[in-house]
Amino acid sequence: MTEHKSFGYGLYWKIWGILLVMTLGMIFFDQAPVPRAALIVFLIVAMLVKATLVAGYFMHLRYESLALSLTVVVGMLITGAILFVLIAPDGMRILELSGR
Amino acid sequence: MAGTTEGVALEGSMAPLHTSWRKLMMWVFIVVDGLMFAGFLASYGFHRLANANWPAQDEIFSLSFIAVMTFVLISSSATMASAVLAARNGSPVVTRFIWLTALGGILFLSMQVVEWSHLIHEGVRLYANPWGDALFGAYFFLITGFHGSHVLSGVILLIIVAVRSMKGRATPEGVELVGLYWHFVDLVWIFIFTFFYLI
Repeated sequence: MTEHKSFGYGLYWKIWGILLVMTLGMIFFDQAPVPRAALIVFLIVAMLVKATLVAGYFMHLRYESLALSLTVVVGMLITGAILFVLIAPDGMRILELSGR
Repeated sequence: MAGTTEGVALEGSMAPLHTSWRKLMMWVFIVVDGLMFAGFLASYGFHRLANANWPAQDEIFSLSFIAVMTFVLISSSATMASAVLAARNGSPVVTRFIWLTALGGILFLSMQVVEWSHLIHEGVRLYANPWGDALFGAYFFLITGFHGSHVLSGVILLIIVAVRSMKGRATPEGVELVGLYWHFVDLVWIFIFTFFYLI
């Protein structure tokens, strides 16, 4: 078992505050007159940062053994990439056909 | 020499990822279940691209209401993390934190009932809606319903663990496992919130 010495109640509530501010930021930018492409990039980056904070700190993945962290993260990335490869060609074709 | 080798092999075979089999199985479940949600969201994105008359979310959803739902779920994740730490430290506040988390889950579900009732009243069905492509309703009820069923399962698990904790029968690992599940429910919501309500 890995020792968990570097986290405490204070850290959890700090992460909670960051997640809350990021969520409010996402809603603010969603309503603001920002170009659509820039908005989508911002929202996806913010979403990934929030997901990393939850997995890393709340789910303690940051403190688990490297082997477990890699099994979870690389496993998700590889299967996610397979999903993307299977769907993306048709998605791109639809975008081309619709002229968007 | 042979004894040492056996010892190492035995240790390795029992905990190859330096974690208990229970926690490892919970992670396996989380990855598999997460991919199911990824499949739903990918399918949703594909159909949304394919249909030019997809309804505009800002005309349908109350974003401030969804923001409060998100706030409730994030807060319940923080109380759950605190419960896990309290359980590990042997602190008696663990039960209080678990009950608070369950309360957050119940509040989230109640808000989801309000949202669903409102949309059903507006005419959203699995096969139709007043604003645009018919698949919108199917995806909305499938994705938020599937997530909601996870929240409901989580609340039931939390209540069981809270009762066990009150009786002094909950183990720190048991609390950690239900915590992992609860954070996963929060994690999935982060993706649903972004892809379904914002983008």
